[in-house]
Amino acid sequence: MTSPEISPPPAAGTGRPAAGTAQPVTGTTRPATTGGGTATGTALALLVSVVVASVATLAAVQAGDESARTAIAWGAGAAGAVLCAAVTVAAHARLTNRSLRAALAAGNARAAEREAADNHFADATVPTVVERLRNGGSAETALAEAPPVASEAQRRVLVTLAREVHKGENMRAAAMSACANAAGRVQALATSMAADLREMEHRHADEDVLADLLQLDHRNAQMGRIADSIAVLTGARSGRRWAKPIVMESILRGAMGRIGGYQRVRLHSTSEVAVAGHAAEGVMHLLAELMDNAANFSPPTSEVHVYVEEVAAGVVITVEDGGLVMGEVALRRAEQAVLGEHGDLTALSGTRLGLAVVGRLARKHGLSVSFRPSAHGGTGVLVRIPRELITEARHEERAPAPPPAAGPAPSSPRAPLGAAPGTPPPAAERTRPAADHSRPDTGPPRQAEPVGTAQHDAQGHEQAESGGYATAAPPPQQFGESGLPKRRRGQTLAAVARASATPSRTADSPHGSRSGADGRADDDRAADGRAPAASPKKRPSGARFGDFRRAVQGAGDPEETGQTPLPSASSPTRSSSLSEDDTE
Amino acid sequence: MTRPGRDEDPDRLYTVTGGRSRSTTGAETFDLVTLVVSESAPVRGMQSEHAAILRICRFPTAVVELAADLGLPVSVVRILLGDLLAQGKITARHPRRAQTADALPDPDILKQVLVGLRNI
Repeated sequence: MTSPEISPPPAAGTGRPAAGTAQPVTGTTRPATTGGGTATGTALALLVSVVVASVATLAAVQAGDESARTAIAWGAGAAGAVLCAAVTVAAHARLTNRSLRAALAAGNARAAEREAADNHFADATVPTVVERLRNGGSAETALAEAPPVASEAQRRVLVTLAREVHKGENMRAAAMSACANAAGRVQALATSMAADLREMEHRHADEDVLADLLQLDHRNAQMGRIADSIAVLTGARSGRRWAKPIVMESILRGAMGRIGGYQRVRLHSTSEVAVAGHAAEGVMHLLAELMDNAANFSPPTSEVHVYVEEVAAGVVITVEDGGLVMGEVALRRAEQAVLGEHGDLTALSGTRLGLAVVGRLARKHGLSVSFRPSAHGGTGVLVRIPRELITEARHEERAPAPPPAAGPAPSSPRAPLGAAPGTPPPAAERTRPAADHSRPDTGPPRQAEPVGTAQHDAQGHEQAESGGYATAAPPPQQFGESGLPKRRRGQTLAAVARASATPSRTADSPHGSRSGADGRADDDRAADGRAPAASPKKRPSGARFGDFRRAVQGAGDPEETGQTPLPSASSPTRSSSLSEDDTE
Repeated sequence: MTRPGRDEDPDRLYTVTGGRSRSTTGAETFDLVTLVVSESAPVRGMQSEHAAILRICRFPTAVVELAADLGLPVSVVRILLGDLLAQGKITARHPRRAQTADALPDPDILKQVLVGLRNI
């Protein structure tokens, strides 16, 4: 009667909120079943308890006295109702509890799942995308190649991230290439300025001017090194390339010429090896940086010693200073700086670029660099140049001239001017200016000389070109496998033809001797014309002088070679009077 | 003239001279036509220019000719020669000293010799 009216509301009232609270946590299908289950269970418990209570109440009413029946009915009814309510509440609570626990477990499982997905996103997906971007991929490529993400939010995060990183990467690359470009221009300027300075050094004989030029040259070389360093750090090509192997002495001097305190560097090298042209610039730059470090971190009065040692695995160059002793930690840090794999410039401080440059260059050319305490009290750096980069100095440069000038193999191509003998490359460029320069030099007597001089000229140049110095032997003529004269690199065909013609001409005795005498007289004249007015145009006339002497020696008797210059240089007035007579 | 970066040697002149720009012996010791004779053979470990000078100067060679052979400016060659002279590895002969006026034969005699030679 009353109890059915009372009890259902709590069942429905408690059942629905329970389902309602479970809803956000659980999904959409399970709450209905659990909520339904709870409600059904509660209703069942209510039904059973109502039936039991009513049966018990009826039984109690029937068994009770007539007079007490109303009271019993009320009491039993009330007790039944209370019982029903209690049972229902208990049952409902129990069922709710069970369903909530299940929902909680499911929620926990899903939370763990999501956490795993987040971890994957953070640890795998994002780094993959970022690395792809760092390696130069565009944002779209990187996103397309990224593993699938778990949620929309993650996708959005990834897109934003990719765009930003890509933008940053672009900016970095633009800054790097701007730096590299600027460094390249400075390098080019420094290189051409070095060539200009070299030419000026040849042109100006005044010692004061030369001193200034040398100082400028030195400054320029240091500037070039800094530009080279920037180029190396920004990943640009190195500035200069050498087309030929560079002998060790030149490597060391080239390196030491690029640092401020080069006068404190002492070279101890008897090595005759050369470094392959493609690596020479890098090796020089690396050594320059190490020498610079050594000179900077040692007292200004101490010397920096450089030793060269040939070992089985290549050549070891040691740069030792007498400066600060680097501690264990400092040595390790230096090696770390050299070995540093990361290519970014953030780890560099402005003043410590040297070791990073050394590291880059060492990796590029496969050099190994190690640090150790030095016997001189400071630090020693060992650089090993691998055998692949080591060659002997170029054979043909040394071979033809062993008696008088094997050494000039490095020095003979040094002359930058077109008129200088031994300048290797463009023959057309060389022979023509040589003739042009020399003509006005030697002045009027020159014009009086018809053919013989020109031939001597050619011969002299020939010998100079082929590297044969004052040898008595005829100019070394190379023959190919076919037996035909072989054209040397940078030589014109006409020059080869002349060279092959000369031996026969000189062998022809009267003609040969005549030309020899002719050449000598001409020699006199050259000395005569030049000696008083030598200072302004020293260089071309010097070259001419050498050419004539060589021509004379090549044609004449080897015994005379020693005496030849004597009369030429001895008395200008005499020889001029002689030649005057000769022409009449 | 300039073909930057090619076919030139990397060492600069100031490294060749060790930073000196004037010779210690002075320009009067070596003028352009001073004859230089080497007194010893080059030894290993010597600066390559010094060795080259010693090789070239086995026969008396004028300073200007040395400069042409080495491809170096005369001033630089003078400095190098000054080093070698200080070490006693070369001697310098001054042509002017040999040609004091009375030591030279008379121009007339020379002329006669020349005429005689022509007549042969």
